[in-house]
Amino acid sequence: MTLTESPVAESEAAADADGAAAPVSPAETLGAPRGLAQPFMTNDAAQVGRLFVVASLLMGLGKAVIGVLLSLGRTDAAAPEDLFGGLNAYFRMWTLYRVSFVLLVVMPLLLGLALAVVPAQVGAGNVAFPRAALASFWSWLIGAVIIVASVFAGGGWGALDGVTGNESDAMALTLLGTGMVIVALLIGAIVVATTVISLRQTGMSLLDVPPFSWSMLVTAVVWLFSLPVAIANIVVIYADLRGRSAIAFGRPESPDIWLQLDWLVEQPAVYAMAVPVLGIVFSAVGKAVDARSSRPEAILVVVGLFGLLAIGGWSQDYFTAPQDLRDGLVYVAFGLAAVVPVMATAGGVGELVMRGSKTRDRLLSTPMLGAGAALKLLGAATLVGALRVIEPLDLLETSATWAVFHGVVAAGLIAGVAALATWSQLLLGPIQQRLAVGAIVLLGAGGGLLVLADLISGFIADDPDLMALALDGNAALNGVVLIGSLLVAAGLAAALLGAVSALRHGATAGSEAP
Amino acid sequence: MRTTELPAAEAIRPRTVVVAALLATGAAFMVFAALVSLYVQQRQQAAALGEEWFPSGTVELGPAGMMMMTLALSIVTVQWAVQAARAEDRPHGFIALGVTLMFGAAVINQFWFVYQDTAFAIDGGRAELLFYAVTGSFIAMLIVAMAMLTVTTIRSLLGPFGRDLAHAVQASALFWHMCVLCYFLVWYVVFITK
Repeated sequence: MTLTESPVAESEAAADADGAAAPVSPAETLGAPRGLAQPFMTNDAAQVGRLFVVASLLMGLGKAVIGVLLSLGRTDAAAPEDLFGGLNAYFRMWTLYRVSFVLLVVMPLLLGLALAVVPAQVGAGNVAFPRAALASFWSWLIGAVIIVASVFAGGGWGALDGVTGNESDAMALTLLGTGMVIVALLIGAIVVATTVISLRQTGMSLLDVPPFSWSMLVTAVVWLFSLPVAIANIVVIYADLRGRSAIAFGRPESPDIWLQLDWLVEQPAVYAMAVPVLGIVFSAVGKAVDARSSRPEAILVVVGLFGLLAIGGWSQDYFTAPQDLRDGLVYVAFGLAAVVPVMATAGGVGELVMRGSKTRDRLLSTPMLGAGAALKLLGAATLVGALRVIEPLDLLETSATWAVFHGVVAAGLIAGVAALATWSQLLLGPIQQRLAVGAIVLLGAGGGLLVLADLISGFIADDPDLMALALDGNAALNGVVLIGSLLVAAGLAAALLGAVSALRHGATAGSEAP
Repeated sequence: MRTTELPAAEAIRPRTVVVAALLATGAAFMVFAALVSLYVQQRQQAAALGEEWFPSGTVELGPAGMMMMTLALSIVTVQWAVQAARAEDRPHGFIALGVTLMFGAAVINQFWFVYQDTAFAIDGGRAELLFYAVTGSFIAMLIVAMAMLTVTTIRSLLGPFGRDLAHAVQASALFWHMCVLCYFLVWYVVFITK
């Protein structure tokens, strides 16, 4: 051991409750870029993580506004086609809302948190490949801008009502942007996974890794299994779409393109962005009540099991008759089993609370509130997912699909806010408690209302319509959806405000030890 | 300044580049596996409907078999390059790299011949489209593998030798082996069981 290398025991003593050590990043000690050059040249993964967090929250706010407009289209106030200027424009926004919340908001938010927190948790000074992490951020951002710009230029993932040549070109650009975003997220995931596997502190086995880092390792593996399948879909669609009349896969005048990619936002693949939620919940609660689990290996198993059940590339039903796949035993088993790890997490959290310090301040702290709300919403989403695969209930092709989606997205966002509060010093700086709690409450209430309304709509719909064009049957439920969307938008605005103010405070206060 | 305030020394990190390459290779393989799965599924669907997939006699087995043998040989030469980088043996390293790249170029050349020979139109039907999607993706991956191998081997052999650079060659070789595995899938699925 070298003179400057701290022994494990010392390092553990310096670590906070869940094992987040506070090593000095090389970028902090060496000549790091300053000012405007910093976001383009930084060698510090924590900086890259901050960029991911702020940019994804900004994206989230924009997409939440689209969500409010889509919800407004479901009420009597305005017809969807009139609100957006045509059926195709409505379809473009409807698909953008769904794809964006997965690829442009929740996944990058959690990846950003991981880039900042994981190296500290495993005792590495920085991530394995900091330049690759920076490349991941910029290629993600450029891909995201391409997606949004091309969708507003008439692109998107297919259409409902005929297209022009220009719109077909814009669709090709959307596909390119989608592929770019996926590759960028995969690069980031590889960086995080390699950091956990190869750069752990001497003496720390894989079983000793804190829950959040473990959950990010599992997430990276799940993404590596799932997201490349979407790239394969995109390759075939793109090859078909470009330059001539499309044969089967890339027909721009139909929703075919969307139907080949919609598995990304449906269960089980949608759970892939919720795996880190379990890690954040365990870590945040452990830190809040200052306790460690008596069975840490059980936490690893629970998170790993949820990851296994979130692998979803196999579940696309465009190429087969939907009933062949989705009534199949594997799909049903995945849907039902996903509840188990979330319930086990609730049990694990209960054990942590029992073992820890149960003062009022600790139990009502922001990380605790966030962890509780995220776990409840994820639990609700997986429960709806389980109901959805029970054939007699006939919920499979109904809006219950979006109840699962909304539950997972809201859980991911709340977990993100909880993580910002838990590791504030590693991330942006001290976040204002009022804004963090406000964001958690608003996102929790909004997400809950969306889950509830979508589930009830699924039960009462006579003619299932996944695009919600015909959901005018129940004005009360449509009103609830609108309120839910407004609350989610307000929650994201509060989270963004909290993040920006924390960043400004952190910048003026300088770098403090966590 | 106290010594405890200094940054920790760089710890010995086993095979960081190789671990990352393993993960990246796995992701690339998943892309290809998904493409091949789609190809097989669509072909089965066509067969179930009694449709012809490729017109008989258009896809020849000869060039495809030659490519398989070429890539099988490249497995040996790429490992030769890895061994040379480990042993800091510049002459053998450059020869191994050159031969491996030549094999790669030969496979691309052979594919060009296959494309000319089959004369498929990409919009001729699902079979033709998927034929180009699968083989085109393979060629793209092979070009990436050739570029990776060239850069890492030349860096390893021209610069001062180090453990990390030898690992980088090993990582590139890993990607190369995955490409060979992918071609094995193409060979069996597209050319043999056509």
